[in-house]
Amino acid sequence: MKVNKLIIDFLLSLMEKKKIDAFLLPLKVPSGDYYTYVLTDEKELIEKGKPVPPVMPAGGARALQSLTRLGSLKRKTGIIMHPCQIKAVIELYKMKQVDLENLYLFSFDCPGVFPAEKYIKNPKETEKKFEEGNQNEIRELCKICDKFDMVYVDVYIGIKKENIYLTPKTEKGEEILKDFKLENQPEPEEIKKRRSEAKEKFIEDFEKEIKGPDALLSLFSKCINCHNCMRVCPVCYCRQCFFDSEAFDLSSENYLLRAKNKKALRFPADTLLFHLGRMSHMIFSCVNCGNCEDACPMDIPIGRIFTFMAEKIQKEFDYVPGRDPQERLPLVTYEEEELKWVEKPYTRILRR
Amino acid sequence: MEKDFEPRIVYFMCKWCGTGGSETASAWHFSYPENVIPYRVYCTGSLSTVHILRALIEGADGVLISGCHPGDCHYNNGNFRARRKVALVKKMLEILGLEPERVWFRYVAHGEGKRFVDTATEFSEYIKKLGKNPIKERRET
Amino acid sequence: MEALKIKKDAESTIKEFLKFLMDKNKVEAVFTLTRMEDGFSYCLIKDKEIISQAVPFYPFMPSNAGKMLSRITLIEPLRKPILAILRPCELRGFIELVKRDQGSTENIFFMSFICPGVFPLKKLSLGYEEELKEYKEKIEKGELSKNIRNTCKACEHFIPYNSDLTISFIGENGKESILIIENEKGENLIQGFEGERIEFEKNFVNMKRERKKERERIIRETEEKGKGLDKFISLFGRCISCHGCSKICPICYCKLCDFDSSSHEIEPSSYEDEVKKRGGIRVPSNVLLYHLGRLIHVSVSCVNCGMCSDICPVDIPVSELFLVASLRVQRLFNYIPGRDYKEEIPLKTFEPEEFTEIAG
Repeated sequence: MKVNKLIIDFLLSLMEKKKIDAFLLPLKVPSGDYYTYVLTDEKELIEKGKPVPPVMPAGGARALQSLTRLGSLKRKTGIIMHPCQIKAVIELYKMKQVDLENLYLFSFDCPGVFPAEKYIKNPKETEKKFEEGNQNEIRELCKICDKFDMVYVDVYIGIKKENIYLTPKTEKGEEILKDFKLENQPEPEEIKKRRSEAKEKFIEDFEKEIKGPDALLSLFSKCINCHNCMRVCPVCYCRQCFFDSEAFDLSSENYLLRAKNKKALRFPADTLLFHLGRMSHMIFSCVNCGNCEDACPMDIPIGRIFTFMAEKIQKEFDYVPGRDPQERLPLVTYEEEELKWVEKPYTRILRR
Repeated sequence: MEKDFEPRIVYFMCKWCGTGGSETASAWHFSYPENVIPYRVYCTGSLSTVHILRALIEGADGVLISGCHPGDCHYNNGNFRARRKVALVKKMLEILGLEPERVWFRYVAHGEGKRFVDTATEFSEYIKKLGKNPIKERRET
Repeated sequence: MEALKIKKDAESTIKEFLKFLMDKNKVEAVFTLTRMEDGFSYCLIKDKEIISQAVPFYPFMPSNAGKMLSRITLIEPLRKPILAILRPCELRGFIELVKRDQGSTENIFFMSFICPGVFPLKKLSLGYEEELKEYKEKIEKGELSKNIRNTCKACEHFIPYNSDLTISFIGENGKESILIIENEKGENLIQGFEGERIEFEKNFVNMKRERKKERERIIRETEEKGKGLDKFISLFGRCISCHGCSKICPICYCKLCDFDSSSHEIEPSSYEDEVKKRGGIRVPSNVLLYHLGRLIHVSVSCVNCGMCSDICPVDIPVSELFLVASLRVQRLFNYIPGRDYKEEIPLKTFEPEEFTEIAG
């Protein structure tokens, strides 16, 4: 893809001008059937890289967590990832899992990614569809992603008609783009409008599939409680998830008692509690990337469920993940006067 | 013979003010309904959203939460954090159509015995009218 | 050995038998695969009316049932008797967990059956009416279905060990089923249940032969794909380090896997040093180390259920690789996981004179 070559040339010129020493960027694996992030400072390797890959490379934002959780990198390193993964990086930074010192964040106008299964079945054909700009077979969540340019980065790379446009978004970005001639970036209107409309329609239509105990339980009826969705989520970083810990080691009497109350108890138990509990832990930071839906072995629309809930709950608390590293997570802060609708006022004094 | 519906209520109360309220109530010989099950935590701020959800899924018809008034928390800001968590749970239940009215959050101070007892009684009657929790009987959870 | 012959198909027989057991209070509850509103899952049934939804022989394994029984009996053994209907590999997995103190067999009656295999999980989310028909036809003829998991096609131990009752319906005409009484506990359970007493020998020579051929073919294909460093790297090239294979495995019972813990975390300065030495390094790292480490920890007890391949989000043939490794390792120690309660796990015991060629 011509755009990939233009971006690689830009990154190499940054390295020549000694503004950046190394890059973390997607490369194809030796067997040729997936992509992964590679940290490198060699020209030959970077030339083989694909900054705009057709699938979500292994790890996403968690790759950066495994790099900088224990400290910061010593050399100036450039990170180029999809917008949703950069948003996840900012959320992980708020949770003290990533150190942003000496890092330069790059992102771009994202054309979406294909589901992993489709790519692995036929890599060559999927690459071709990606080159042609196919928008019908990408992930369901990519089709409704309209906030891809509202992300905190140092340099944003706009893509329109096989050309790239560089825009610095922070002081760090301005500093490294000092010697480059910059053109005004065109707005990605058409694609944004289409995805915005698709998103509104999705939110309207999905409500009836999820509202009420019958609809909700039938959505999760196939779930086998494998926890794959939690494991591939870029924001779920806990080494030992609460739902895998000793809190859920229950005695045999507990299971038999629950089986008696409900006439029969389904195993693995606590499936609905896992999903609603995980939702209440991370819904504020959900970046709607769709890794969970890709990884689910039973094809449950889990990404769409979380996106539906995230839209509504993030709006209620006026919080957008990945927008600003200094913005604090809603459950970590509070105001003294707020959320009066939660408190139940004492108005009835009962007579004895 | 059809028995009257007895709602099962779980009452989370903080050690400093909530149970204080219950002790004051007992000193004045007030009583609250037997189907309200008290559960003491040290501070409502230590309650996780998962505790409330687990109670509702595994057999409670209603969940009551009581802590210190704003500004009076023994640990400074636990009740503020609890208010945010309860807001999150209620909003989630509302969007999913699972009756957020089954979760109440009311402040009760150490000396407010009558307020404590009235809260428990009022909530129990409210849930009796509302009916059984539809999720607690489902075995697919 | 003695068996009961019943003139009904296997599913109806079992439903009647379960109702009989609960009526006579021989068990408190039953653990088996059940049809729910929109799917299938294991269920602990306490009420008789739910038994009509039981489908113990449906070709579906949502999760290894041995792992779930271990969950139930981890903290304390069951205080009242239950009956559990499991596949042979699930039962073997449970016994391996019991040997590791992760469960207890007290108060559990085990019922198993001559297993014709299960479909991969993907099949069930996509639609499977045609495949189900072919599966049933092949069962009546006593042959292998072509749509089952690879590990099921290669299964060496499809006749269960350590069950109290075993059901045989493969090769019967679909209208009869055989309840084999394995021991005294089974005899006590069956007392009072209607059926014709016969003598039954577990021969199944043809089935063993067919599976042996498939096993050799799968081992050959997997070695072609994965033997040697380059091919091994290719096989795991697309691994995304999600560790799902370890969490679904019945033998992997550790609450916090060593490879998830802080002992395998890498400092950023180490990463940068490796970049200087090699020119580039894959992030996150330790992909191959995780798989080799798990092979070493698990292969001695691997029961070849095949859950790992099914759960992998990028379709790596993990269970076929573990089949090749576990076969060789188990032969080296002359050990079959789950065959005998009293048999110690090979790494927990030793003989003074063995493997002298290694130590010299």
